[in-house]
Formats: sequence, structure tokens, C-alpha cells
Amino acid sequence: MEALNAFSVSLQAVWNDSGFSAFTTGNGIMILVGLVLLYMAFVKEFEPLLLGPIAFGCILANFPNTGFFGEEMNVMKAINYGITYEIFPPLIFLGIGAMTDFSPLLARPTTLLLGAAAQIGVFVALGGAMVVGFNVHEAAAIGIIGGADGPTSIYLSTKLAPHLLGAIAVAAYSYMSLVPMIQPPIMKFMTTQAEREIVMKDLRQVTKFERVVFPIVATIFISLLLPPIAALLGCLMLGNLFRESGVTDRLSDTAQNSLINIVTIFLGTGTGMTMNAESFLRADTLLIIGLGLVAFMGGTAGGLIFGKIMCKMTGGAINPLIGSAGVSAVPMAARVSQLVGMKSKPGNYLLMHAMGPNVAGVIGTAVAAGTMLAMLK
Amino acid sequence: MEHSPVTTNPLIIMMINMTVVFIVLVSLMYLIKLIHYIDPTKEPEKPAQAEEEEPLVAVKSEPVPAPEPEPVVEEGISPEIIAAISAAISAYGFAEQVKAVRIVNHEGTAWQNSMRNAQCAMRNGRR
Repeated sequence: MEALNAFSVSLQAVWNDSGFSAFTTGNGIMILVGLVLLYMAFVKEFEPLLLGPIAFGCILANFPNTGFFGEEMNVMKAINYGITYEIFPPLIFLGIGAMTDFSPLLARPTTLLLGAAAQIGVFVALGGAMVVGFNVHEAAAIGIIGGADGPTSIYLSTKLAPHLLGAIAVAAYSYMSLVPMIQPPIMKFMTTQAEREIVMKDLRQVTKFERVVFPIVATIFISLLLPPIAALLGCLMLGNLFRESGVTDRLSDTAQNSLINIVTIFLGTGTGMTMNAESFLRADTLLIIGLGLVAFMGGTAGGLIFGKIMCKMTGGAINPLIGSAGVSAVPMAARVSQLVGMKSKPGNYLLMHAMGPNVAGVIGTAVAAGTMLAMLK
Repeated sequence: MEHSPVTTNPLIIMMINMTVVFIVLVSLMYLIKLIHYIDPTKEPEKPAQAEEEEPLVAVKSEPVPAPEPEPVVEEGISPEIIAAISAAISAYGFAEQVKAVRIVNHEGTAWQNSMRNAQCAMRNGRR
């Protein structure tokens, strides 16, 4: 009898400690959301490197009684610290810097204007978010989705609206993966056949001196002007300096391979871990996803409009299609410019020309984030 | 240190931010031009007069080349693949345009594949 009683009490304890006893409908819905995201990542291949860990983190975050965010330190809590204390986004930028070739931008610096113009989407979405009832901090964090820059979106959300981080990260990475579907119709609608057929002049050769000096000068200038983004821009330029110096190949290799891969796993999983049912299953999430789309379309349109202006001002030397690459989804947005250009005129290679505004967009989005932090924080 | 926002008017925030973004990126544009200007390693630019004369000589002495024909592309090959192939060939230093792109039957026998490789090698003058 005593054994039976002990067995019953033990079973009761196991049940009480299990996730099933505290499992809610919300948890179930969020696990389904996680599974859908996993399907999108691994079957449809929508940004699988980031959406995969985000989706799995979302599933993990919705198991009750795991103690992930309790008092005791554990691996999930440590990963979450990397997001809370803004450690991962700058490290991702270090890797992006090591992978980025700034030569197209240095060869044609006027394309920086396209990177600036494409930021209009950020502010259109900011205005829209405030109109539908978000406060100014939340609206700024939502607006930055239009920059199409995942790490910057996470960086700004963590600082201005940490409770919206999950929804903003999912929207940002989802739209980044949908760039090849979202941008072409806007590009075709806003440009004429003749404009799309413009063949651009070859870019000049950029010297090693320019490639080495640029990241140093840019870091000094931007970090002094906008200190809140010194970590982001500094890491981007440091990674690029590793690449261009020619004497730090091992560091460059680590930054653009091992380091960025490790940090991507942590950033993705940690971001997914913020998607618990209480914070994600709200009407606001749908609004954020809708506003993100507006921001993305606005950014694409802004870049194209400025591309058309530059086309007119240069007497047809600039193909406006490269303007849409001003949103900073590197290098996907540049590839979309290339594809639309090729479809209009086979043999019209716009890829390298579009890389200029594309990397300008990365800088532009970081500057937009820094300006908003300076104004609002 | 946190402080209250300067303004909460979305239009003003938009105007201020876009102005700052443009100012920063335009400044960066001039910094890039300055770096190019002071670059001690750049090749000296040709005098403007010489540049103007060059095309005239070229026009008189050389016939205008006929436009390259578009590559013959088999159905089912996306423009993205054509672009990647063309870029790879250009990267190897071959200026000629791609003449044709077609899908190779991978299910052929080892003899067929071996013969195909031999033909490609002969065509490229490696034998």
C-alpha cells in the first residue's frame, strides 16, 4: 500500500512538473507558428539560416516549466543576454563587413544617395505605426523593418521596444526573404522599358589605398556624429578592414565564416525565444507585419524614384533599377536589380552597379537607426 | 541617459531623420571623393585633350564591331543561371560572349560523359 501511495505521489509530481500541466492554447498556437516558420525556412528556403533558428527558438520558448528565464543561469538565458545587451547584432555586422566589397560604392559614390533615398520606407512606416496607435518608440522600431536589415532591426527594437522584438525580427527576416517577390512588380510599375534597358558604364578600378582608408574614415566620421551606432558601424568597418588590409586573412576568414555562423545561430535562436504566446499572440503582431510590408514597399519605391531622378540628371547614365537595391538586403536586392535588368535586356549586367546602393543601404539604415536613437532614447 | 523624445509628430520626425540621413551619406560621398583625390597610389589621369582625341582616331582606324549575337538558350534555363555562367566565364578572362547554353544529360553513360569532356577540351584548344 505504501509503495502504491509513493508511486501515485511521484506520478503526480512528474505531471505537475511537466509542460503538459501548464500548457495553454497560446503555447499550442505558437508551436504551430514555429512549425510553419520551420517549413518556410527548410522547405521553401526563405532565409533558412536565420528563420530556421528563429522558428526553433519560437517552439522552445513555448514549452512551460523549462525555467529558461528563471533565476538560475542556463544556456538559453545566456543566449538571451546576447540580445538584451546588444552583443549579437554588432558581431553579425563584423562578419557582414568582412564579406562586403565596398569597391562598387567607392567607384561610384553618388550611389550613396540611392541608399539614403531608400530609407524613406522606414519613416513612412513610422508615421503609419503612430497613426494606428503605437507610441513613438514602438513606431521607430517597427519602421526600421523598411531598412531590410535584420541586425539593425533587432538592435533598435532591443533599445526602443524590446517587447516587440519577436514580431519585428520575424517580419524583417520574412520580408528580406521575400525581396525577389515584393520588389519586381514595384520596379516594373515605376520604370519604363527604355529606363530598364539602360546599360551602365563600367566602374573604374578602386585602389587598395581607397579600400583600406574608407572603413577607417567612415568609422571616425559616423561614430563621432552618431555615437549610438558606433558599435554597429564600427564592427562593420572593422570586419571590412580585416578583408581589405591584406595582412589579416585569418581574422577576415574567422569573421566571415566561423564567427558569423556561430553568432547567427545564437541570434536566431535568441530572437525566437522572445516569441512566447503572451507577447506574440496579439493584434499588434499582425499590424507590425502589415506595416513592415508598407515599409519595404516604401523603401523600394523611394530608391526607384531617386534612381529615376539620377537617371534624368545624368542624361541616362544611371539605370533606375539599381535604386531599389538601396534597401539593404545584401546581396539579394542587388540580385533582383540584375534579374529585372536582364529580363528587360539580355546581357545587361547591373549586379556590380547595384551593389553600390546596396551597401550604401546598410550604412543608411544604420544611420537612420542612430538618428532615431539620438532623437528618441 | 534617457530623456523624453524631442517631438512625437511623425512628420517632423520623418523630415529631421531623412535630412540627417542625407547629410551623413552626402558627407560620406564627399569623403570618398576626397580619399580618391588624395590617393597617392592612383594612376595619373590622362589629360582631357588626349581623352577627347582618342575616340576620333579609333573611329577612323577601326571598323565598328557588329553587335554580338544573343546566346542561344535552351528552354528551362533561368536568366539567373545564364548570368552566373556568363559572369564565371568573364572572370576567367574570356571576353567572347556566350554563344549557347544547353542542359547536359547527366544520366548518360560514363563513355558518353567522357566523350563530351574530350570534345569540350578539344574545342577549347587544350589538346
